[in-house]
Amino acid sequence: MLGNHLLEIKNLKIDVRVTKKRRLSIVDTASLIIEPGEIIGLIGESGSGKTMLCRSLVGTLGRRGAYIASGELKFDGIDLITAKQSVWNDIRGKRIGYVPQSALAGPNPVMTIGAQLAEAILQDENFPKSEVEKRSLELLNIVQIRRPETVLKQYQHELSGGMKQRVMIACAIAQQPQLIVADEPTTGLDVTVQAEIMELLKQIRKDFNTSIILVSHDLPLINEICDDIVVMHAGTTVEKIPSKSIKASKHPYTLALYNSRIDLVLPKGQLKTINGQPPSVGSWPEGCRFSERCDFVKDKCRTKQDLPLIEIGSNHQTSCLRYDEIAR
Amino acid sequence: MKAKFAKFKEWLLLPGGFGIFTGLLMLGTMILLGIIIPNFGPYKPDEFIGDPFLPPSWQHPFGLDQLGRDVMTRTFSSVGIDLGVAFLGVSIPLAIGTVIGILLGLAKNKYVLSLAGSLIDGINAFPLLIIAVAMLTFLGSGLRSVVVILAITNWARYARISRTRAVVVSKQNYIEAAKTLGFSRRRIVLKHIAPNVSSETVAYALSDFILVIVVVSGLSFLGLAAKPPMAEWGSMIADGRAYLAQSWWLVIFPGLALCWSAVSLSFVVEGISRRDRGI
Amino acid sequence: MSVTFDSYGDVIKAVDHVNFVLPKGQTIGIVGESGSGKSTFARVLSGLQIPTSGSVTFMDKPIQNGKNTYEGALRKEVQMVFQDPYGSLNPRMRIVKAIAEAIRQHQGLDKKASRVAALDLLESMGISNLDAQKFPSKLSGGQRQRASVARALSAQPSVLIADEPTSAIDQSAQAQLLGLFNDLIKKGLSIVLVSHDLGVIRYLSDYVYVMKDGIFVESGKSEEIFNNPKEEYTKKLISSIPGRSTK
Repeated sequence: MLGNHLLEIKNLKIDVRVTKKRRLSIVDTASLIIEPGEIIGLIGESGSGKTMLCRSLVGTLGRRGAYIASGELKFDGIDLITAKQSVWNDIRGKRIGYVPQSALAGPNPVMTIGAQLAEAILQDENFPKSEVEKRSLELLNIVQIRRPETVLKQYQHELSGGMKQRVMIACAIAQQPQLIVADEPTTGLDVTVQAEIMELLKQIRKDFNTSIILVSHDLPLINEICDDIVVMHAGTTVEKIPSKSIKASKHPYTLALYNSRIDLVLPKGQLKTINGQPPSVGSWPEGCRFSERCDFVKDKCRTKQDLPLIEIGSNHQTSCLRYDEIAR
Repeated sequence: MKAKFAKFKEWLLLPGGFGIFTGLLMLGTMILLGIIIPNFGPYKPDEFIGDPFLPPSWQHPFGLDQLGRDVMTRTFSSVGIDLGVAFLGVSIPLAIGTVIGILLGLAKNKYVLSLAGSLIDGINAFPLLIIAVAMLTFLGSGLRSVVVILAITNWARYARISRTRAVVVSKQNYIEAAKTLGFSRRRIVLKHIAPNVSSETVAYALSDFILVIVVVSGLSFLGLAAKPPMAEWGSMIADGRAYLAQSWWLVIFPGLALCWSAVSLSFVVEGISRRDRGI
Repeated sequence: MSVTFDSYGDVIKAVDHVNFVLPKGQTIGIVGESGSGKSTFARVLSGLQIPTSGSVTFMDKPIQNGKNTYEGALRKEVQMVFQDPYGSLNPRMRIVKAIAEAIRQHQGLDKKASRVAALDLLESMGISNLDAQKFPSKLSGGQRQRASVARALSAQPSVLIADEPTSAIDQSAQAQLLGLFNDLIKKGLSIVLVSHDLGVIRYLSDYVYVMKDGIFVESGKSEEIFNNPKEEYTKKLISSIPGRSTK
């Protein structure tokens, strides 16, 4: 259907069942739109809700007792909130791929790499079993693994961190998904490996027109790779801005993140930090949640309840009340 | 007072709180009755009171056994025996095993390591009950022998846990920091390694306690530990077995007491494990 | 004051025939990727590991004596801070007790005085008296790292060896820790900083050694290395930093 964004998230609220009566909001009014072939960076500190948002895209919220409380979540026109298992089975792994954080998950330790790739390939029930090996080698080549035939027989512990991630990417692209969700895929990996993996992702976008959501807390990385950046703080998306215009940000949080980059500081110079800590889930303050840490804060920031994203330029939205007063 | 109650309620709501509380309550009841009834109750465990096989009544809530003794008094006088023996049977191996394990874990001599390792694994290969039965036939039976045997064999289980843990702990950064800070070896072992190892072995000891109670009763049932006329759950059950159909109270009450003890401890252990895991 | 190092590797050649000098009051960064041998090197410098060959000297005195390193009064001079904030502190010891223990060892104070000194030291690191009474599991990664630094400082060392101190903590905690190191440098502490994070190395170091597969492939002043790398590997490293691509 024309006019469908690839992914449309509007005012999404994700809650978690803590006890029978208590609910906590982990994500509250997150909004985000992605078109085919875009690489979007999702940046935020821990507790910002970015991981939960990713889980909602692959449908694994239920495992943690989390659920979507309100808002819209549409993938290529399909409503993912009310989607039944059968719909999810067609989407998860096939149309939306997932690359986990390198330090955490990774290939299954008791299966050979070949077995796992086969599993990913055979998600398509119609794929001929005889072609699986050929396709596996093809995938390993795409992710630039040398000597793929050897790797197919190896186990996860025999591979380096970088190779493990390449394998995870290979599994994720096996069905040529329209969207890949990459949650901190290079955190913990060496910087040279990180650079290679980022190049790989860019290549995949170029060759297959796949959209990628890249989650990270590393702003320079996101700035370099992504087309647009979505900034999250305390469960809310507070700004969306094109990468190249990051300096012209109209949200104090984004600016604070940008200014606290260590590579911008002279050696042993004054490090700029963001005041305070991100408010922890469940104890979000009234009004703008960044108000307690903001240099720009005014009284009205603390009282206004509803802070929607306002369109302020081409492809630029911010939720700061005082955005027009931010001079740069 | 109110603050204390609020704190208690908070503790209760944490993972495992209810389990630990219920378990301790059940256990406490058993221990309390085990103290009160044999010592302050109207009857003695070996006293012949009345007609054998008298069914439960107001004067004798658990009835009388085949020799006219009060089953209730006998049941509760066994608490001290079973729990007491089990306590010894756990704490001695715990102490010995933990110490040996730490020594082995920190040893660097290759021969010591492999020899000891094989010994420990060898002992651990046999289920406790089997070894106990085998050794009792050699050493002669009786409760004292049981405690001795437990001390001799059960320590290996603790040593294995303790040794692995000692190895892991000794590689941790805080131990290395203690070294660079110049702490004496003695201080490092006693104040840093030992506490972090014993937390594991003590945890194991709690669940071992349950096993040992059952083992002691089981051995008594076989006639190898407590013997008549001693009032002990296992031997009471053994004696009463023949009369089960008509005079069920001879067997059921000691059996229930055994279950009650084991279950209450299980609640406690499960509660603690839930609390550690955080669910 | 200098720490010179000339060593030959482990059985696996973790560190292969390297030379290294730390002049007084300077901060030296050792940058390398995983498996480069930098952590092994750091451990040898601090006396936790004995090199297969070669020696380390502190103020022209060899640190090794048979199987022991840094004997006697020498031991306090070189202290270490580790990467993992979770394993760096005894989980069964309250923070203030751990620091007081170190203070008692090195400053000869009695139990009461050392406790007070510990609380003060921790406070100067940004850990409140209330937090100091807690067990490590109740503190954040950043707080734990600062507590580890406090513990190391209790010995009043002249050299601090920091092995990946910022790798396991989040951005804001990192900035706090680096600011702390900065202050210590101003007070005269010499630091050997081992890290794979080029940003951190660039921020703190005067001089940088680049390590790969157990050898130092290049070394030089910080600005030289970052702006004018000469070796292939160094160039590859620098260009992999986001925003510094030479492509």
